[in-house]
Amino acid sequence: MTQFLSLLLNGISLGAIYALIALGFVIIFKASEVVSFTHGSLLLLGAYTMARLADPIGFLPAVLVGIVVTALAAFLIERLVINRLRGAPVISLAIVTIGVDIILLTELIRRIGPDILNVPHPWGGDSVRIGGVGISENRLIAMGVAGVLIIAFFVAFKYSSWGVAMRASAEDGEAAALMGIRQGRVSALAWIVAGVLAAVAALFLVGAPTPGVSAAAYTVALRAFPAAILGGLDSTGGALVGGLLIGITEAMAAGYQDQLSFLGRGFGEVAPYVVMIIVLLVRPSGLFGTKELTRV
Amino acid sequence: MSDTLSAPAGATRRTPSADASGPARSPMRFLKPLLLVAALVVLLVLPLYVEEFWLRTGFAVAGAIVGAIGLNLLVGTTGQLSLAHAFFLAVGAVSYTYISGESGGLGTRASLRGLELPPIVGMVVGVLLAGVAGLLFSPIAARLRGIYLGVASLGLVFIGVHVLNTWTPVTGGFNGRSVPEFSLFGFTFGNSDPQLFVLGVPYREAERLWYLGIVLALAAYLFARNLLRSRPGRALQTLRDSEVAASVMGVNVQAYKARVFLVSSMYAGLSGVMYALSIGSIAPESFGLTVSILYLAMIVLGGLGSVAGAALGAAFVTALPLVFQQFADVLPLVSAPGEGGISAGIAARYLFGLAIVLVILFEPGGLAGFANRFRHRGRRPGRGSPGASPRSSGGPSPGAGPGTTVPSDPPAQGSSTR
Amino acid sequence: MSGAHRAAAGARDTTTRSDVPPVEVDGVSVAFGAIKALNDVSFTVAPGTIHAVIGPNGAGKSTLFNVLSGVYRATAGEVRFGDARLSAMRPFQIAGVGVARAFQNIALSGAQTVAENLMLGRHHLTKAGFLSSGLRLPRATREGRVHGERIREIAEFLDLGDKLHTPVGVLSYGDQKRVEVARALCIEPRLLLLDEPVAGMNAQETDRMADSIREIRAALGISVILVEHDMGMVMSLADRVTVLDFGRRIADGTPAQVQSDPEVIRAYLGSGTEDNPADAVAAAHTPEPTERQP
Repeated sequence: MTQFLSLLLNGISLGAIYALIALGFVIIFKASEVVSFTHGSLLLLGAYTMARLADPIGFLPAVLVGIVVTALAAFLIERLVINRLRGAPVISLAIVTIGVDIILLTELIRRIGPDILNVPHPWGGDSVRIGGVGISENRLIAMGVAGVLIIAFFVAFKYSSWGVAMRASAEDGEAAALMGIRQGRVSALAWIVAGVLAAVAALFLVGAPTPGVSAAAYTVALRAFPAAILGGLDSTGGALVGGLLIGITEAMAAGYQDQLSFLGRGFGEVAPYVVMIIVLLVRPSGLFGTKELTRV
Repeated sequence: MSDTLSAPAGATRRTPSADASGPARSPMRFLKPLLLVAALVVLLVLPLYVEEFWLRTGFAVAGAIVGAIGLNLLVGTTGQLSLAHAFFLAVGAVSYTYISGESGGLGTRASLRGLELPPIVGMVVGVLLAGVAGLLFSPIAARLRGIYLGVASLGLVFIGVHVLNTWTPVTGGFNGRSVPEFSLFGFTFGNSDPQLFVLGVPYREAERLWYLGIVLALAAYLFARNLLRSRPGRALQTLRDSEVAASVMGVNVQAYKARVFLVSSMYAGLSGVMYALSIGSIAPESFGLTVSILYLAMIVLGGLGSVAGAALGAAFVTALPLVFQQFADVLPLVSAPGEGGISAGIAARYLFGLAIVLVILFEPGGLAGFANRFRHRGRRPGRGSPGASPRSSGGPSPGAGPGTTVPSDPPAQGSSTR
Repeated sequence: MSGAHRAAAGARDTTTRSDVPPVEVDGVSVAFGAIKALNDVSFTVAPGTIHAVIGPNGAGKSTLFNVLSGVYRATAGEVRFGDARLSAMRPFQIAGVGVARAFQNIALSGAQTVAENLMLGRHHLTKAGFLSSGLRLPRATREGRVHGERIREIAEFLDLGDKLHTPVGVLSYGDQKRVEVARALCIEPRLLLLDEPVAGMNAQETDRMADSIREIRAALGISVILVEHDMGMVMSLADRVTVLDFGRRIADGTPAQVQSDPEVIRAYLGSGTEDNPADAVAAAHTPEPTERQP
């Protein structure tokens, strides 16, 4: 029972991080109909910047610069590439983000090399015990920060003019444009917000129990894709649920590895994808995604 | 309006004409077959003159051409984004290795199993099993909207790599296993058995595989081209442009999506077998997400929907890193492995990434579209960038302006089907 | 195809194919969430007639067409076409029983030629599969040739004979509209659904399309259901008219009956659209374009 609770708590904390990434993924899709495959390398960019700058300028400034750099990169991708392809087929947009991802990822991996860079979190790698259930301090803080950010996001999404504009243009782009909503601005802002969320996720993703910033962080970030798809690509609430579900699945599959040994070692890393495929079999648009109505 | 329309009895009259392919009146009509024959002759005699490196590169390219044509049928022609291609390559490669490979081995290899059947059986079964894998996945594929499919197929790659890592008796596990030589009715595609000399040049593995590559790639090319120019091809292209229109016109959309998935994964299976033969061993890392992405790069650079484009793109993407490596000491910026600086593989990856972005931004037709535009300069309004006229994604295509749709093969102008 | 007989139902002099059954729309409702796009709509299309469905914007005309062609599923009621229950069939099966639809927003493949687009209409009449096509087996190529001839006939009938090998994307709007109709004809339909075939056309092109529709009906003896905004065209062309408003059928009858129906006039004046029946009345009094004999 203790093991189960411990895995559950760790799964939720991991899921909270996935939810941040998936949320960014979903708002980009809502604002610009783009499935952003650049998300993994954006996250790696944030982590890399923080790790490199923490030594010379200190932890907190490095985190801030990391967030700004990631958001800026996301903004530039939107302005220089996505914005010029407004109205292109969804598939072309997805492919172009893959192209951007290749460039960014190649450069980051070349810079990181075989090393594992360290982000010196002031909270270190210690674990705490809550009623007999152990969790790393890093994950505990991650849960708190992610919770605050997610609530802030939902409030902003509901009440700020940007949130309203974005929901309107996701509903009906043409009508929103006629109402004076500038889709370019909505989309650019969505990318910036997604960049910020990815960078914050990066900060915690490369902390304990993960050893540090390496090329492997990219693969971890990719698991936010099944999270977003599972919840439904156009549902922000779905991203949250999907993130938690994937986090818990991964933690459970890894924790009960011995009982699941017939599935092979390291099954925890693929379990999210298995769950995603099973869910999609039953619900092709994810758990909370809207079914597309054909208009003829 | 003076023409009248009779009842559909006219359909049984047999008069040749309006086939789907256009008239061929240009002087290219005679020039083109001549050029093709010349090119084929050059390919056939090449092993007499070039060194092994180029022949090996050639076979790797041939394998990639088969795979890229298959992916293009799915993504370019039918508009189904798939990142699972590496998975189906793996199914082909592993099946071949298991079916035609030997059991046992030394030391840690002792646990390996193999059926030791003739390699041709391994190849055929490899292709079929890849098709079966595609068919098993197709119910999911057929139900998902294009972009959901893209991410769902991502999952298949990770699951595939996991299986490769853990199913050691069949796949060789983390370290992989070596691949049996190909042979056909007693003729081995290896260095000996039988010894072979042509005009005094020894025909060893590289030379033999070169011809195998030409035959398989050519067959894959012709099959896909015929397919696109006939009934199923038209249905697939319409399905890409508007699923609703296709179904209302009588196309069983679900069944067609499943079938194109089957064909595409069979192409991938064959490509996987060829890849295994070309490298000589298989390992999990050869079938990761990177491979899927490289295949996507091939068909985007070549031109989505164009069979010839896929072949061009495959040649470009496969050969470039190898060529970079070969000429590392001559090229600026690129350095030999282990010397620091930018290695050939990395330099090639920058180039692919950049090329994808530039192609989508400025020449959505890819290399094929570029060649086509060059050929038809001044005759047709240029194909604009996808941004030129907005198109609601997911909804029915307005049909107008080839630039807005994912471009397909040129409408058969100046070329006959023969 | 078979012995044609004089149509009893047609208001004009036409021969109706004996294998064209009536279309019975029976109590069809379609709901999207709380919105009822169609509410208990019933009408019958007599064999070999041109039946128009009109109504202000948002009346449910497009939804009705989507139900007829199987794109939407009716939440209640059913649509019968002879023995076939269209409301229970998938779109490609509906095409298989000879129901063809020309789309309002042109849904052609722009990169393909006119001939290729028309060939798609032959899809359910041909059989070549992936294997026989990829290998160019004789039966696949023969099929292509035989059907190519019929496609040429249909293209010539709609003045597209010289454009067979032109990519559809570079054709004019009017030409593309006619390719839409030609593609539907290539299905060899017994029922033709035309969704605003003259929307956006100029007067000359409209007349030409009206002539074509008359001739299609006269030559092939099939039923035509027409959704159209151009009242002049509807009143001169249709044998019978069904009027929808807010998803309900508010009138059904001959053009003359419908025009004088007070509820129809109220619906149109109330909604403030331009296709005012007052104009329609005027249009009906102007001399019809002379019908050309086949």
